[in-house]
Amino acid sequence: MNRRTSFDPVSVELWKHRFAAVTAEMGVALRRTAYSSNIKERRDFSTALFDAHGRMLAQGEDIPVHLGSMPMSVEAALREAPPGPGDVVLLNDPFRGGTHLPDITLVSGVFRRGRRAPLFYVANRAHHADVGGMRAGSMPLATEIYQEGLRIPPLFLVRGGHEQGDVLRLILANVRTPDERRGDLRAQIAANRVGERRLVEIVAEHGAQQVERHANALLDYSEQMTRQLLRRTPDGRYHAVDFLDDDGVGCGPVRIEVLVEIQGGRARVDFAGSAPQVAGGMNAIEAIARSAVFYVVRALVAEAIPSNEGCMRPLRVVVPSRSVVSARPPAAVAGGNVETSQRLVDVLLKALRPALPDRVPADSSGSMNNLTIGGIDRDGAPYTYYETMAGGMGARPGAHGLSGVHTHMTNSLNTPIEALHHQFPFRVTRYALRRGSGGGGRWRGGEGLVREYRFELPAQVTVLSERRTQAPCGAAGGGAGATGRNRLWRGGRWRRLPGKFQIEVTPGDRLRIETPGGGGWGRA
Amino acid sequence: MLRIGIDTGGTYTDFCAVDAGRVHTWKVPSTPGDPGSALRRGLRELLEHVGGARDVEVVYGSTIATNALLERRGGRTALVTTAGFEDVLAIGRQARPSLYDLQVERAAPLVARRWRRGVHESIAPDGSVEQELARDEAEAVAEALARAGIESVAVCLLSSYANPRHERMLERALRARGLQVSSSFRLLPEFREYERTSTTVVNAYLLPRVGPALRALRQRAHVRRLSVLQSNGGRLSLQAAATEPVRLLLSGPVGGAVGAWESARRHGLRRAIGFDMGGTSTDVCLLLGGPPERLHENEVAGQPVRVPMLDIHTVGAGGGSIARCDAGGALQVGPESAGADPGPACLGRGSEPTVTDAHVVLERIRPDRYLGGRLALDPQRARAIVARLARRLQLDVQRTALGIIRVANATMEKALRVVSLERGHDPRELALLSFGGAGGLHAADLVRSLRMRGALVPAEASVLSALGMLYAHVERDYARTLLQRAPAGDLQRHFEPLLKQARRDLGREGVTRPRLLRRVDLRYVGQSHELTVPWGPHFEHDFHRLHATRFGFSAADEPVEIVTVRVRAIGDVSPPPPVRSGRAAARVPRFERVSMWLEGGARPRRREVRVVGAEALPRQVLHGPLLVLRDDTTIWVPADFDAQRRARGALWLEPRRSLRTEESA
Repeated sequence: MNRRTSFDPVSVELWKHRFAAVTAEMGVALRRTAYSSNIKERRDFSTALFDAHGRMLAQGEDIPVHLGSMPMSVEAALREAPPGPGDVVLLNDPFRGGTHLPDITLVSGVFRRGRRAPLFYVANRAHHADVGGMRAGSMPLATEIYQEGLRIPPLFLVRGGHEQGDVLRLILANVRTPDERRGDLRAQIAANRVGERRLVEIVAEHGAQQVERHANALLDYSEQMTRQLLRRTPDGRYHAVDFLDDDGVGCGPVRIEVLVEIQGGRARVDFAGSAPQVAGGMNAIEAIARSAVFYVVRALVAEAIPSNEGCMRPLRVVVPSRSVVSARPPAAVAGGNVETSQRLVDVLLKALRPALPDRVPADSSGSMNNLTIGGIDRDGAPYTYYETMAGGMGARPGAHGLSGVHTHMTNSLNTPIEALHHQFPFRVTRYALRRGSGGGGRWRGGEGLVREYRFELPAQVTVLSERRTQAPCGAAGGGAGATGRNRLWRGGRWRRLPGKFQIEVTPGDRLRIETPGGGGWGRA
Repeated sequence: MLRIGIDTGGTYTDFCAVDAGRVHTWKVPSTPGDPGSALRRGLRELLEHVGGARDVEVVYGSTIATNALLERRGGRTALVTTAGFEDVLAIGRQARPSLYDLQVERAAPLVARRWRRGVHESIAPDGSVEQELARDEAEAVAEALARAGIESVAVCLLSSYANPRHERMLERALRARGLQVSSSFRLLPEFREYERTSTTVVNAYLLPRVGPALRALRQRAHVRRLSVLQSNGGRLSLQAAATEPVRLLLSGPVGGAVGAWESARRHGLRRAIGFDMGGTSTDVCLLLGGPPERLHENEVAGQPVRVPMLDIHTVGAGGGSIARCDAGGALQVGPESAGADPGPACLGRGSEPTVTDAHVVLERIRPDRYLGGRLALDPQRARAIVARLARRLQLDVQRTALGIIRVANATMEKALRVVSLERGHDPRELALLSFGGAGGLHAADLVRSLRMRGALVPAEASVLSALGMLYAHVERDYARTLLQRAPAGDLQRHFEPLLKQARRDLGREGVTRPRLLRRVDLRYVGQSHELTVPWGPHFEHDFHRLHATRFGFSAADEPVEIVTVRVRAIGDVSPPPPVRSGRAAARVPRFERVSMWLEGGARPRRREVRVVGAEALPRQVLHGPLLVLRDDTTIWVPADFDAQRRARGALWLEPRRSLRTEESA
């Protein structure tokens, strides 16, 4: 497609916001009806809207790592279990467009009354605090996906408006916190319903043809904006290598390599040279690699363009099969979505820094610092808890990095300490900025966080964190951010823990997570 | 008793009073250094005008709180938290405000690190004390802050909403040393520490500035009863406003929003955008069959604030906005404003060109008829100062003047987009309800660029904000967190203390028989967001039904939790009568022809334009170009617009239909 379409500026603006409003409204419904703190407080979910061909039209401003992968979930659903009127299809299989097992995606079609041809599809994905497997929270240090939890291919959770009791029972029988899961799944169904209802209203008001015309115009518009960015970027071949600390089960550092070729408004992104898939759960699937590319391009465009399929058109992403950026079964993948995804962004930005020196920031903290806790509470009921911790943002050319903030592939909130204390048998005893952890330079990197927990009952604790040995780099002569540290207070002293570990804690134990700072920019 | 609404803008102070079924309006220049002085003068003049002094009650819309926060001119404020959580204010919710913006910034916290102090204490979520706060420690913190010259302190401890014992202890220690204190358990007794801390800090930050300023104002203006508009559209006594200034952040624009909705309703506009262009800023709000939506949480100047506010969007462009040439040689207009002092160049003292001066240069503001002829303008001075800017831009004077207006329009257009397009509403289906002193000169241009239906300029346009204040109810909200499974026995028992408090507070505001609305917040056990339903025999049933409508499902089999019981107490006021069309503009003949600069082709050219007094307007449709003069404002009807007089002296502007047909063809 090489024509330059002219757009009616008012219509583009209007429909951009109209579609975005649908995904936003779905998000509100999900958050307000969900049961688990990870969804209702931390907003670890995303919502999206697709046209009848499965092309993504809009996505909520939620979690970038879901960007490139939601379309693959919808594609898998349409291929294996196409939803008809009143149906909701559920899946979490990372090898069918999922990301990692805790992320459960629900897909529904939007139909006019009495018709069988869909107008749109709506989907939402939420991170469930447990989906079974070897450790509470389903983010273990595993070596096979079968240990990580229940793997679900696309299947019907709701058919013709009726909840499929057998499917639900099978899922709930395999997880540690079934009541919470049932509540969250119903919230996800509600979110899709809200999206369907709004879209049916919009079509009733404007007519299906008009809506389709505007949807196509928006796809073209995003494509054109992306091409413009690529044209403004000098043609060339840009190459970079970075490393993950380790795979969590004894292997590392793990190499990630990329070559970005930009020419005439198109880009080819090739991850050849990246390590083969690893034994531990740091493997990313292809959808995550696509998400990282999508995110980087979208951030560099620096305009409020709609995140849709059009943004991807000028991009070609090539991944070596059975590698750490494109794993195949039975690889374990829990950390690929949350940790490897951040490194993919780091390496892409590193490659593009010479091309866009005044745009690309220094490395940000580069880890989501995942913590899962599970056990039995005082009333004898099982609980599982999941959260991620922010770090320092890399300094920008012209501005310091922000402190204690999620960067790049996630933007989930913290759990309010008061909400957490209400619900779980452990306490947060300190939550502070980590002084001095930001890299020095003309512009300073942001500071990481310190978060400390005290356990009141025995529990299983798992941490997946990165940048514990390989520090976030500075740019243009700026200093590196401080590496993160994990420590356990037991028997009257602090012990050092690795970046990825799973332990059993006892009452009185304390855990302290110190997250990495951001790199600095320019010489001081 | 004479009730008077007063709106202090950056440039003018407007007055509106209802007396014997008639609305009287008045306008004087603001006195920013001493706003009470303008109040006093205006009140004196207004009272003379309605026939002598008497007991008055003033309802006041104040930007004192807003400006103190925006310009960061609040108190020297400290924060006391539970030890280990001093940085909660800086970390926020650990999210960035914009997902893809690599240059994203976050507003710095209002209290710097060294003034965020932790105390050792612990209260369990159920309210039991796990670690007592030592009296010595509370005293020591208070002493240290008092010695350091701190003026006000926010106190926000973990779980204080469940047991305020330690916050009270700190409050006493701090007050004993003459510090002003805002405690989170009084202001916002709800869980979620960051939002509670942020709201409490904003309140503490405003304490040393707002109360004294309001009291000084009352004294200076010689008014006994002064109440202040709060962000939710209700009003508060001065005393209540001084202790909870965080409730006044939208006090200024709220009067206009309420007035705009009343005006839209009376003129039969169901879908409109309220557009209030004053001297310093422009406030816009969406009116869809009611007043603007009420938000429960908002951000002001980057600080999250959890108190109810009407949904109003403000940008820094107004008649007094200053035009300048930036480093890149581009024309910039605002957000700096010449305000009332020195004011636009045409008023004789200002030395920077403003939007108003641009209108004077183009002769759309007639020098002899400004404010009904009560203020003399100096058009030579305006032209000279715009010419200075023109030389820097290498343009002629007229093109510079037109450019200033276009740039200001672009800023206002952006604000209109925020409340319409960005919320999914097509401006082509909306009308512009234009008010504020400067609105009438810009309304048509904005209607054209957003292809809106048209613009209505009501007779009371230039004082609509002050008029809106006369609609403000006394309104206060009370809540108590229960967290019990439904049905929680005798709910009435839990409402009683709230009702008692409400009657007492409203009694103090002079309301003897308040309307008391009882409501309950409910959710399914396990959820953390509630739905609010009116309290009644079937409230549980209503909750299931509302949940189903809102979210597409309900779960009658799941247990329901009563989170909060609420009472809203309202002291109604009788609404002011409709405004009759104002007095005839001074000395305006029926029609007059003047020659003025108009946009056209490559450069502005002179053209004959009709000028008509609003009173003299006939009923039939008039074609632009046309200048309609009112006593207190001017309305510009460009060549491609038609104007028609509507009921109660309002003027309707619409793109000329023939032109419209050509365009769509």
